[in-house]
Amino acid sequence: MSPFDDATYLVLVILGITAGTFLTRGSFFVLPAEFELPQIVERALRYAPACALTAIVAPSLLVGDAGRIDIGWENFRLIASIAAGMVFVRRRNMVVMMLVGMAVFTALRLSVG
Amino acid sequence: MSPAEAVTAPVGPIPPIARHAYRLGMRSMAPLSPAIGVWGLVTGVAMVNGGLPVGWAIGLSLVAFAGSAQLAALPLIAAGAPLPIVWITAALVNVRFVISSAASRAYFAELPLRQRIFCAYLNGDLGFALFAQRYGNARERGNPEQWGYFLGGAVVNWVAWQTSSIVGILLGGAAPSDWGLELGASLALLAVIIPLATSFPALAGIAATAIASVVLRTLPLRLGLPVAVVIGVGVALGVESLRPGAVDTSEGPT
Repeated sequence: MSPFDDATYLVLVILGITAGTFLTRGSFFVLPAEFELPQIVERALRYAPACALTAIVAPSLLVGDAGRIDIGWENFRLIASIAAGMVFVRRRNMVVMMLVGMAVFTALRLSVG
Repeated sequence: MSPAEAVTAPVGPIPPIARHAYRLGMRSMAPLSPAIGVWGLVTGVAMVNGGLPVGWAIGLSLVAFAGSAQLAALPLIAAGAPLPIVWITAALVNVRFVISSAASRAYFAELPLRQRIFCAYLNGDLGFALFAQRYGNARERGNPEQWGYFLGGAVVNWVAWQTSSIVGILLGGAAPSDWGLELGASLALLAVIIPLATSFPALAGIAATAIASVVLRTLPLRLGLPVAVVIGVGVALGVESLRPGAVDTSEGPT
């Protein structure tokens, strides 16, 4: 059975994501004002979000459709993402960044495909 | 305002707000709507194209209202990853709020729990950033003007994001896949990662995570993901302790 057909799994996914999101994003409202994390935990958590997101994004950009690592010019997703990332570093504008990324991806695909 | 004044019975979920500040909050958030809309649209399309049925996708958007956490959880759900891995990943993505919120808790601390829960659900990156920008140095912390400003922005953010997300969910199946829309999810997450890469230890941690996550991608149960995060955080802390001057002291994403 596909996980998408498993209603119990999906309900638990939604409830768990909601609880986790609520406690972290809402910590600022829900935790008592005097609550403080231990120093080492706070230092570690400072890096956790970027690492968690990278662990999701990196395989999707660096691994080709065949399941092999692909960091060559034929990896259009990677090239387009690098271009979009550079635009975002300079402009900090997500709309422009998305348009550039998708335009580069489409241009590469059409010119080669 | 004293705590006694803030708690008026019966207590509804909405904190007392100053109307002019509420409208000001809405006006401050309005120019950011296009970016919020793109983010929501991409999230909606990605969820449906990733295989999540329309009803579940709408439910997840409305209940969790979690943007990047939803996108991060999606490939894990599609792979049928164990629930704890899905949950921990989604929570880790939002841990950035725990770090950046410590100083700001005083603004809402005196509200009844029910009102704080309402604010907690509506909180997002942009509302939080706008609020910190305007009241970060305020002498009085916690008054109807500040609560109004926060909620005005948060409501615009919520409406813009939910509307565009649901449009994305409904259009998702119909959008041509060769426009590079599937790339949108990765780009949206990249837009969250880049502002967090503000120091050398953070960059080292990100690089280590990227390598580890690719090398470990074939581990069963998607265990490569948490292991890669642990490796990345470890590398970041190691680099930080080698170069004490490079410690990231910024107040999180703004």
